[in-house]
Amino acid sequence: MILSKRGASLIAPAASIGVFILLWGIISLNVSAEFLPSPLAVVKEALRLLHANIGGTSLWGHIGWSLRRVLIAFFLAILLGLPLGLYMGWNRVCEKIVSPIFEVLRPIPPIAWIPIAILWLGVAEGSKIFICFVGAFVIMILNAYTGMRYVDPLLIDAAKSFGANRTQQFFNVAVPACMPSIFAGVQNALSMAWMCVLAAEMVGARQGVGFIIIQGMDLNKPAMILVGMVLIGIIGSLLAATLRQAEKLLCPWRRELV
Amino acid sequence: MRDPIGSERAAASEALSLEIEKANYFATAARENWISFVSFALFLIFWELICRFEIVGPYQLVPPSEVVTLFIDKFSNANPDGALLYQHAAASLGLALAGFLAAVVIGVPLGLFMGWYPAVNMTARPLFDAIRPIPPIAWIPIAILWLGIGTPAKAFIIFLAAFVPCVINSYTGIRLTNPVLIRVARIYGASNWETFVKIGIPSAIPMIFTGMKLSLNAAWTTLVAAELLAASMGLGYLIQLGRRLARPDIIIVGMLTIGFLGALMSWLLTRIEARFASSRRLT
Repeated sequence: MILSKRGASLIAPAASIGVFILLWGIISLNVSAEFLPSPLAVVKEALRLLHANIGGTSLWGHIGWSLRRVLIAFFLAILLGLPLGLYMGWNRVCEKIVSPIFEVLRPIPPIAWIPIAILWLGVAEGSKIFICFVGAFVIMILNAYTGMRYVDPLLIDAAKSFGANRTQQFFNVAVPACMPSIFAGVQNALSMAWMCVLAAEMVGARQGVGFIIIQGMDLNKPAMILVGMVLIGIIGSLLAATLRQAEKLLCPWRRELV
Repeated sequence: MRDPIGSERAAASEALSLEIEKANYFATAARENWISFVSFALFLIFWELICRFEIVGPYQLVPPSEVVTLFIDKFSNANPDGALLYQHAAASLGLALAGFLAAVVIGVPLGLFMGWYPAVNMTARPLFDAIRPIPPIAWIPIAILWLGIGTPAKAFIIFLAAFVPCVINSYTGIRLTNPVLIRVARIYGASNWETFVKIGIPSAIPMIFTGMKLSLNAAWTTLVAAELLAASMGLGYLIQLGRRLARPDIIIVGMLTIGFLGALMSWLLTRIEARFASSRRLT
């Protein structure tokens, strides 16, 4: 019984993916390759792109450009957003000062910053990093702030009665207590930055994974777009998996919730 | 445990002290609200001054007073983008809501069935997991290639963006149904379907609402992206045009409208949730 269940849980996913690819193949036979290329054509295109020159840069070069933008913005967002969010949650005066401005800017999607970022920083690297930064920064602040506000007051009181001063309460009790919320924020921030870099590169760039799929659209090559999409999905998953590993190392007590 | 009445009393006093703390917090919070007003006013004055003294050029930033003037003007003046502000807003809202509603109607039941019936889960899950890591924005080029640059392409992209959180959250919600409740229903002779409808779905409602909020957010963000790339109407088009004309005032009015409408929609959904979820909460 258990064995057959395990067998089913292995066969069913394979079967469903298989049927999907089969259906895709059948449909692609009946429409033009300009509309939907066959699965085989997509694999061939992927192999071709591995060594091809796409708009002056190799495939790996494009990936490198995108990762560079994302990671710079991501670390800047952590560096600035984390302390600010934590301090907003800790100190009411700081919260009162920052929150009205933050509340006006928060609901604006980072993608809506693209036009003004281009006016401010040009179409070069600056505007793209800025957009990813905005996306990651807002999430970092929100998570750090919320985590800090939900720290169990009992923990702070306990620290107080053991004679901890304000700084010790903050660094030794409050900050570790909101680690899970911070880590959730770090993960969301990275995936948001990844989405933003894509949007920024699609609006105007000569390098990056977003450029690959826009190039595919301009050249009317759906196989190239599909390869780009799969690539984007894989890199996004790898980034998320890396962070999950980091979280397991840095806050092991959260393991059961992952 | 030996003294149930005593522990109850302790719990009650703890709850009371928590209430007091909360009341105190809000009292001081209200007293300190002037800090927020001052901070926001300083922000606006600073912004006005750096523009007035031309520390930044007029093609980069305009003072807030001009933003307000343009905002009022955009209700009666269709230039230079060919439509009034509320027409752009209506075009965007209509598309976002259409995509969002379609995603809710299809995604929520799919998530619920995936969570309740292992067979559905095993078939749909692999495909879903394969599609999920691709950001909805990455679908824009292929959607344009398939459906043209009109409304169907945008509706499709928004649908995809809103679909994923709907499925994930209703799936998680129904998987978190308290097994005791399910067993009780079974003991009283409920069929699997009855248990699903009367126990599973109601207990998943809070998670479904969380998913809908995330969906709405994703729909709105993705709509802006789609309109930036291909549109002749809508708020995303408005800000993109502002960039081409180097008119920061248009961009800022557009951005603030986008932010305001997004916040308004999530607020409305929270109100609906409060009314709907509280009347049939299962604990």
